[in-house]
Amino acid sequence: MRRYKAVEGGSSHPLQVGEEVQSVKQFSSELIVEAVVRCLRVIEPSLANGLSHILPPGMSARFRLGMSLAQACQDVGYKGEIGYQTFLYSNEPEIRALLMFLVEKLPRESSESSDQPAGKSVLLQRSIAFKIKSQLAVPWIPPSCRVPFLCKHQNSDLAHGFHAQHLSIPQTTVLSGKKIPKEVKEYCEKHLLPVTAQPSQHAFLCASLLERNLADISAVQEWESEWNSQGLASRLSIDEYKSRKRQRLQKRLHDQLRHAVQQNQENQHTARSSSDLADLLKSFGAGPCGHEILVKGTRFTHTEKFTFTQESEKMVQQMQAAADSLPSSKQSEKEVQARQEEEVTGLQQQIEDIAVKIEEVSLDIKKLTVSVMQVSDEIHQKELENEEKSGSVQVKSKTVELLPDAENNLGKLQVLVDNSAKRIVNLASQWEKHRAPLIKEHRQLKELCGNKELESSRKVSEIKGLHEKIRQSADEAKKKEELYKQLVTEYENLPKDVSRSAYTQRILEIVGNIKKQKEEITKILSDTKDLQKEINNLTGKLDRTFAVTDELDAKRDESVRKAYKYLAALHEVNALDSENIQTPLLNLEKILNDYKAIRQENSVLAAKIRDA
Amino acid sequence: MLKLLERISIQESPRFLHRITDGICGQSFPRFQDYSTIFTIAEFLELVNVITAFLKTAVGKKINDEELQQSLSGLDSSHQQAICHCLQSRREEIRHSLIEKTNAISTSQLQDFDWQLKLALSSDKISALQAPLVNLDLDIKENGAITPLSIEMNKEELQNLINSLEAANKVVLQLK
Repeated sequence: MRRYKAVEGGSSHPLQVGEEVQSVKQFSSELIVEAVVRCLRVIEPSLANGLSHILPPGMSARFRLGMSLAQACQDVGYKGEIGYQTFLYSNEPEIRALLMFLVEKLPRESSESSDQPAGKSVLLQRSIAFKIKSQLAVPWIPPSCRVPFLCKHQNSDLAHGFHAQHLSIPQTTVLSGKKIPKEVKEYCEKHLLPVTAQPSQHAFLCASLLERNLADISAVQEWESEWNSQGLASRLSIDEYKSRKRQRLQKRLHDQLRHAVQQNQENQHTARSSSDLADLLKSFGAGPCGHEILVKGTRFTHTEKFTFTQESEKMVQQMQAAADSLPSSKQSEKEVQARQEEEVTGLQQQIEDIAVKIEEVSLDIKKLTVSVMQVSDEIHQKELENEEKSGSVQVKSKTVELLPDAENNLGKLQVLVDNSAKRIVNLASQWEKHRAPLIKEHRQLKELCGNKELESSRKVSEIKGLHEKIRQSADEAKKKEELYKQLVTEYENLPKDVSRSAYTQRILEIVGNIKKQKEEITKILSDTKDLQKEINNLTGKLDRTFAVTDELDAKRDESVRKAYKYLAALHEVNALDSENIQTPLLNLEKILNDYKAIRQENSVLAAKIRDA
Repeated sequence: MLKLLERISIQESPRFLHRITDGICGQSFPRFQDYSTIFTIAEFLELVNVITAFLKTAVGKKINDEELQQSLSGLDSSHQQAICHCLQSRREEIRHSLIEKTNAISTSQLQDFDWQLKLALSSDKISALQAPLVNLDLDIKENGAITPLSIEMNKEELQNLINSLEAANKVVLQLK
């Protein structure tokens, strides 16, 4: 009884079994249906989805529920006889068998989970729950009264954000083993603050240290991974690789900046853009340090500076001249002012004129430089042509000289040509002689080179494989270590007082029990055999008795005939009863009642149909 | 303006210079209270600014020793030496901070981040929720002012964020 209860407790509402119910025999139909449905819900939620655990009031609905429940039980794997009658007109052995089967089928999560090593998350949740419980148990205490233990949980110190600051740590020189410069040594000895005093607030110390450490580590890691992937493949030494990368990056940066500046220059020629550009360039320098900054000149800033300083100088000169030309202040101030304004407007006019002129002139200069370039190109081409022509002219003049004594000269030329042809053949054979070994050598060297390349690439791949292996083994080691830690914590959490002897004792007890049960089983078996024998004897006797009675003449006596009739009827009923004996009379009455109820329901429904 | 440095005694000036260097590198600048007997507040600020600018320029432009001597010619020799020593011992640190500043060219920049992992045990509707939440605090520097930004994310949102950051990282790697 209690076992069922405990099992049902797993679902959202435990099965309510009244006090008066003492055994399975006293289970009502409602209780049986509820128990079975709840068990099915746990075993196979999909099967029990459509089933309600409350017996419906209508008889036909009850019938349907019984049918579907029986079907569900068979689906789960129940082998015994089952139908709607099992639930509605119950008898003890069937219900007991069914419930036993269902309880056997219930999933055993709880027992299994305690056997397996608990997962990390379960451990964590357990520890969280434990911590919260213990912290909730501690009363809140005003800050001034807190003992150090409480400060840890109740102070608001933990609410500090993570703010890292730069720390001055002279590590690079110490680690690389180079000689430490005198100035650095002096700084470290006299002026370097201890790291705990460096952050502006003490709360930043931890964060700053962590950040620094992490930055260093990640830099090393990044470099290692890059070196392993790209550096090794490029087959350069570390320094070469670094310098090459630096060059590449600088070139890229340079290109990008130049591109951006040119775009700016082309897009807008207003003063705003140039001042923006100046800002930009200033920010590339040493930051906001005003006039101290020495802006590294690009072409654009140079031109800008040049034009503006020129203009301002000119303006200063003109102002000076104007001041000199002023008469020695006998006129009234108004006149002076008017004149000054006039002059100012005049000067502004002049400045504008000059600016326009400058622009024009610069345009002219550009045009002129372009044309100069073109002209110099042309000159170069002409010179080349000239050389070619003069060469041909020389050849032609020589042939003209040789023309008068044509035959003689032809013979001479023929000899010369023959000679040179011979010489060429000679030289070619000589060259061949030299060439063959050289080519051989070249081929050999090439082969050697190829071999070396192959070997080196193989080695590189080997190194990569080794790196991979190292990482894998490190990972594995980490995993194993974690598992070990987890197991250790679990082992520590296990109760320590349970000794080996207690377990062996329990095992021995169980073995003893099993032996006893075995003996009992054999006893029962022998009993059943005896009973079987007795039954056989009795049936034999019965058969014989019937045979004897059959032999009697039935028609002789009325009472004998009556007795024989009764006997025959008894025999038939016996045979029937041996099948139906399980259904008690009480069930029959119930079935009759239910039959009446169904008929009533049917008639009500028929009346409804008629009315409709 | 550098002349003002001579008012600090030669024994004290290296400390003063190193504290300024600390300030350049992201720690705190020297405090006026410690030097209030020597300077007025305006002078003090002026001197700190000038020395800061000088140190930055010297490191940023890779000025060699001769040029350095030339630009410091107004000072007496012992103070000149103090500045030179400070520069030589902290050159790398200053250079590093300048590079950092150049890196921070964009309008807003992540200065610091902090995160907290929280486990929501239950909500108003669900008794056992067990949903992990991450609380990400970003300190963003925008036009010189640091504004905190706090985001709470569940697992999927965090994964989204990480994915987009990884995509961004890929783009940056391609630039290299």
